[in-house]
Amino acid sequence: MTTLTLAKALNEGLRRSMEDDSKVLVMGEDVGKLGGVFRVTDGLQKDFGEDRVIDTPLAESGIIGTAIGLALRGYRPVCEIQFDGFVFPAVNQIITQLAKMPLRSLGALKLPVVVRIPCGGGIGAVEHHSESPEAYFTHTAGLRVVACSNPADGYSMIQEAIRADDPIIFFEPKRRYWDKSEVDLTATGLPLDQARVARPGADITLLAYGPMVKTCLEAAAAAAEDSRDIEVIDLRSLNPLDMGVVAESVKRTGRCVVVHEAPVFTGFGAELAARITEQCFYHLESPVLRVGGFSTPYPPSRLEEYYLPDLDRVLDAVDRAFTY
Amino acid sequence: MTSDAPRGVDAPPELVQLLTPEGERVEHPDYDIELTDEEVRSLYRDLVLVRRIDLEAVALQRQGELGIWASLLGQEAAQIGSGRALTDADMAFPTYREHGVAWCRDVDPVRLLGLFRGVNHGGWDPAEHNFHLYTIVIGSQTLHAVGYAMGIQRDGAEAATIAYFGDGATSQGDVNESFIWASVFNAPVVFFCQNNQWAISEPLEKQSKIPLYKRASGFGFPGVRVDGNDVFACLAVTRKALQNAREGQGPTLIEAFTYRMGAHTTSDDPTRYRVADELEAWKLKDPIERLKAYLFKNQLADQEFFDKVDAEADALGKDVRRRCLELPDPEPEALFQHVYAAQHSLLDEERDQYLTYLAGFER
Amino acid sequence: MLREFKLPDVGEGLTEAEIVKWHVAEGESVRINQTIVEIETAKAVVELPCPFEGIVAALMVTEGQTVDVGAPIIAVRTEEEAGGSPEDLVPNPPAEGAVEPGIHGSPAPKQERKPVLVGYGVMASSTKRRPRKSATEAATVAPAVVPAVVPAPAAPAPVVTAPAQTAVRVSVLAKPPVRKLAKDLGVDLATVEGTGPQGSITRDDVQSAVGSPAPGQATGQAVPLRQAAPGREERIPVRGVRKATAQAMVASAFTAPHVTEFLQVDVTETMAAVRRLRQMPDFAEVKVSPLLLVARALLTAVRRHPMANSTWTDEAIIVRHYVNLGIAAATDRGLIVPNIKDAHALSLPELAVALNDLTERARSGKATPAELTGGTITITNVGVFGIDAGTPILNPGEAAILALGQIRDMPWVVDGQLAVRKVTTLALSFDHRLIDGEIGSYILRDIGAMLEDPLKMLAWG
Repeated sequence: MTTLTLAKALNEGLRRSMEDDSKVLVMGEDVGKLGGVFRVTDGLQKDFGEDRVIDTPLAESGIIGTAIGLALRGYRPVCEIQFDGFVFPAVNQIITQLAKMPLRSLGALKLPVVVRIPCGGGIGAVEHHSESPEAYFTHTAGLRVVACSNPADGYSMIQEAIRADDPIIFFEPKRRYWDKSEVDLTATGLPLDQARVARPGADITLLAYGPMVKTCLEAAAAAAEDSRDIEVIDLRSLNPLDMGVVAESVKRTGRCVVVHEAPVFTGFGAELAARITEQCFYHLESPVLRVGGFSTPYPPSRLEEYYLPDLDRVLDAVDRAFTY
Repeated sequence: MTSDAPRGVDAPPELVQLLTPEGERVEHPDYDIELTDEEVRSLYRDLVLVRRIDLEAVALQRQGELGIWASLLGQEAAQIGSGRALTDADMAFPTYREHGVAWCRDVDPVRLLGLFRGVNHGGWDPAEHNFHLYTIVIGSQTLHAVGYAMGIQRDGAEAATIAYFGDGATSQGDVNESFIWASVFNAPVVFFCQNNQWAISEPLEKQSKIPLYKRASGFGFPGVRVDGNDVFACLAVTRKALQNAREGQGPTLIEAFTYRMGAHTTSDDPTRYRVADELEAWKLKDPIERLKAYLFKNQLADQEFFDKVDAEADALGKDVRRRCLELPDPEPEALFQHVYAAQHSLLDEERDQYLTYLAGFER
Repeated sequence: MLREFKLPDVGEGLTEAEIVKWHVAEGESVRINQTIVEIETAKAVVELPCPFEGIVAALMVTEGQTVDVGAPIIAVRTEEEAGGSPEDLVPNPPAEGAVEPGIHGSPAPKQERKPVLVGYGVMASSTKRRPRKSATEAATVAPAVVPAVVPAPAAPAPVVTAPAQTAVRVSVLAKPPVRKLAKDLGVDLATVEGTGPQGSITRDDVQSAVGSPAPGQATGQAVPLRQAAPGREERIPVRGVRKATAQAMVASAFTAPHVTEFLQVDVTETMAAVRRLRQMPDFAEVKVSPLLLVARALLTAVRRHPMANSTWTDEAIIVRHYVNLGIAAATDRGLIVPNIKDAHALSLPELAVALNDLTERARSGKATPAELTGGTITITNVGVFGIDAGTPILNPGEAAILALGQIRDMPWVVDGQLAVRKVTTLALSFDHRLIDGEIGSYILRDIGAMLEDPLKMLAWG
C-alpha cells in the first residue's frame, strides 16, 4: 500500500496504462513539458516521449477531433481538457462525432477515447474553472461518463477507462487532487460501471459522485454524533448507472438525498430521483431530495461557499427527509 | 520537435520598429509617428504607472488579497501603444491581461481587481469606457469584436473595434472564424495579437508554423508585425490600422512581437519550461527602459521628471492596495442577482429558501 | 503592533517550502512589497514581498529550514495601534475544522487556502455542523415549503385515488408504504382519519382502523410491540386489530340486548349430503364442507324470518332484503369478518366457491375493504376450535349471529333406539330489540330442522 494524492494516483494509473499498451497516447494543453497544470501527467513525456505525450495547440475542438482520428487509426488517446469550463468548444466533436460514430458504423468503428476533465469548484478560481457539466454528457447516448472521488478509484478507474472500447468522459474532482489516501498499486479495483457503498448506514441513503463524496462522508460522520446513521454511496459511474446498488440501499433505508455541485434544476439528480421513485415507490418514506447548486451561473469565488453544497446543506436535506 | 533555445531573442525580419531597445529613434518606410515632447513624456508615465499597478497586483496576490493575477509584465508598450491609438468612439475587446488598455480607457484599476479577487466576474460597465469585460475563455471575444464591428457598419458610425488576443488563441476555432467573418464582411476591426511567445508552457511553434502576422493573408486581409516592446511603433501601426478600418478598408492583423516576462498567472511556474537565458535576453529589450533612455538622451526629461513619475507610481500602488483591501465581499443575496433580465420564479424561490435557511443559523 | 506573515503557497498546491535566503535582518525597516525572502518550491525559487511596513521584529525561521505553508516566518512591528487596524493582511487560519462564511466587508477570505493555478486554493471543508438557532426561533424562520428547490405548488398534493375496489370520494394523503399497508389490510383510506403531517395517514392510523401490523414492517421510529417489564407483569400496548375488535365488541355488547338460544342437532344427514355433493361434478373444483350447508340453511331461515336480517337504528328498523353473509375468520392477525355479498342469490355451487374464496383470502390477509364492511348476518364456526357452543356477540349493526359447534359422534335416539350419530350444537344470539324469543326460537328451530334433513332446504328454499 502506498499513500498517494489523487493527482499522483491518476499519474501512476496513466503510467501503468502507457507501459501496458504502446497505443495509449496522452494529449492536451500543457500536458507534456509542464506535466499538466495539476501535474497529473507529470513526467510522462520524459519517459514516453513527445510522440506519445503531446502538447497540443490551444484548441479543444482540435484535441477531441484529432483524437477521434487517432483512434480510427488504432490508437487509444487519453485527452485532457484543461478545465471543465473549457470543454465547450469541444462539445460538437464529443456529441456529434465521438458519441455517434460507433452506431453510424454499425459497430465497425470503435472509439476508445478517454476525455479527462478536472471538474467542480471549491478552489477559489475565476470564471469557467469550477463547472460541473456532467449532465450534458450523461444525456448524450453513446458516451460513458464516470467520476472518481478518491486516489484508489482514480488509480484503477483511469486504467479501466483506457482499456474500455467506448468513449469515456472521465471527471476528476480538482478540489480533491491533493487529498491523500492509501492505494494498492497491485489491485484492479471495482469494475468501472459499479457504484460503491462508501459508508454503510441504516437510516437514509446519500447518493454522490466526484467531489461531493467526501462532503457526504464528512456529513455522515457529523450526523453519527446525533445518532443518525447515514449510508453514503459513491456512484462512480453516471452512465451507465448502477441502479442495483442504489435501489437495494433505498429500499432498505426508505429515504434518499442526492448531492451534486451542478445546479439542481435538470441536473443528474433529477434522473436519480425519477428512477428511484419508480423502482422503490412503496419503500419511500419521503420523496427523493436533491442538494446542489442554484439556478445561476457559477459565482465569483467570494460567493462560492454559499453556492456549493456543504456539510450543513447536506444535513439540512437529511433533516427535511425525516419530516415526512 | 521543440528546442530549448531562447525564443525570439534575435529580432525577426519584417518587424516594424521605430525605437530600438537602446532608445534610438529609427525610420520605417511605411510607418511614422509625430509626437510632442509632452506626449512622449505622457507615454512614459503611462508605461511606468501601468507596470506599477501590475506589480502591486502581483504582490497582493502573494499576500492572499487576490486569488490570482494575470501579469502584463513586459507587454506594457504593446498595450499602451495600441490603447492610446483608440478614439473615444472605438470599442476594445480585451482578453484578461489588457490592464494597460484598461488604463487607456480610463477604467479605474481597482475595478479590474474585483474579478481577480473573486468579488465579481467583471466590475465595470463596458459602455462607459468602450472597453468590454475580460473574457477568460480563450478567443471568444474576437467573434464579439467582429459582430460589434458589423453593428458599427450598420450604424454608419466612424468607429472601429479592436480585438486583443494572444499567440495561443490563434489556434482556437473562434479566432479563425472571426478572421473569416471580418474578411468577408469587410468589418471595421483590428485584430491585435500580443505574441508573447508562450501559452502557459507551450511555445509559439506549437500554435503556428509561420509567423502569426502572415496568417492574415490566408484569410484575405493585411497583416503586420510590430515590435511589441516599442511604444512608438505600436502606436503608429495601430493608428493606421484603426484609421483604415474606420474608412471602410476592412480588418488588419497586427502581431505585436513581445515577451511574457512573468508567469502565465501568479501560480504558474515558468522555470519548469523556460530557460533563464531567454528571460535575461528579453530584459535587455525592456519597453520602459528604452523609452527612458530616449527621453534622457534627447533631453526631453530629467531626473526630476523620472522621480516624479516614480513617486506617482508609488502613490498609485498604495492607493490601489488600500482600495483593494476595502473591496467589500458580496452578500449571499448577490448570488441570485442579474442572472436574467426578466423576473424568474424559480430563482426567486431558491433565493427565498436559501436566505431562510441561512437565517436559521446562530451568528 | 506585531504582525506576522505566514508562509503562503505560491501556487502549486504544495504544502511546504525551503527558506533559501533572507533579504532582511532583525531590526531593519521594511516597506510594503519589499522582497524579504526567497523560498524554494520544487525547483522554483520565488521571492516573497512583504505585506507590512515597519521594523523587522523577528525572523522566525532560518535559511535552509523547510517550513510548512501557513507557518509564520517573519514578525514585523508596524506603526498601527494594537487592535486599531481593521484588516489582517494575511488571513488568520480558522479553528481546526471550522468554516467561517464570508463576513461582510472582510478584506480577505477567512479560510486558509493553498492557491492553485487559477485561484485562492482549495476550500477547507467543515467536519461539524454549524449550530442552528433554537427550535422556537427556527420555527418562525423555517422554510414555509418543506421541499427544496423544486417549485412546490401551494395547493395540496395531487389527489391519489385509492385502489379501484374502493370508491374514494375525497383525496387522502398517505405515503406509499402506508398506502401499501392499507391495501394489504383491506383498509379503505377514505374512512381513516390522518394524524400525520399535513393531515396524512400514518401507519398507526391504518392499524387502528381495522388492519393488521405486517410483520417486520419497518417504521421510521421503531417502537417495540411489547415492552417487557422485568418479572411478574407484561404490558402489551393496545393497538391494531385488537383495539378495533375490542371497540366493536363493546359497541355491540353494550348496545344491543343479547339473547342466546341453543339447539343440539343430529347432522348425520347433512354430513351424508356433504359427502354426496363432493362427488358431484358441479362441486369437483370446490371444497364442500358442512359450513356450506349450514350457511344455506341460515339463508333459507332468513327468507322465512326476515327480521333476522334487519338492523336497528333509532329512527327505524331497517329490514334488508339482501343477505351479505359474514363468516367470522380467525387469522393469525386477529379476528376479521368478511362477508359474501348477496349470498341469498347464489346457487349452491356459487355459494361454495364464494365461501372458499372468502376463507382463503381472509387467511392470507387479502380481504378487501369492501368485503369487510356491509355484512347483514354472520356465522361463526367455533367448532373448528373443538368447542360445542358459545354465546357469540353480534357483529355491530346485525340482528343475529349463528355459532356452529363441533360435529362429533354422540349417542342419539333414533326411532326409539340408541345410535351413534353426528351431532352438533347451534347457538343463535339475537338482538332482542329486533327479535323476540319466539321468533328467535323459530329461526333456530328451522335451521336445525334443515340440518337434520337437508331436503327441507329444498322444500323451504
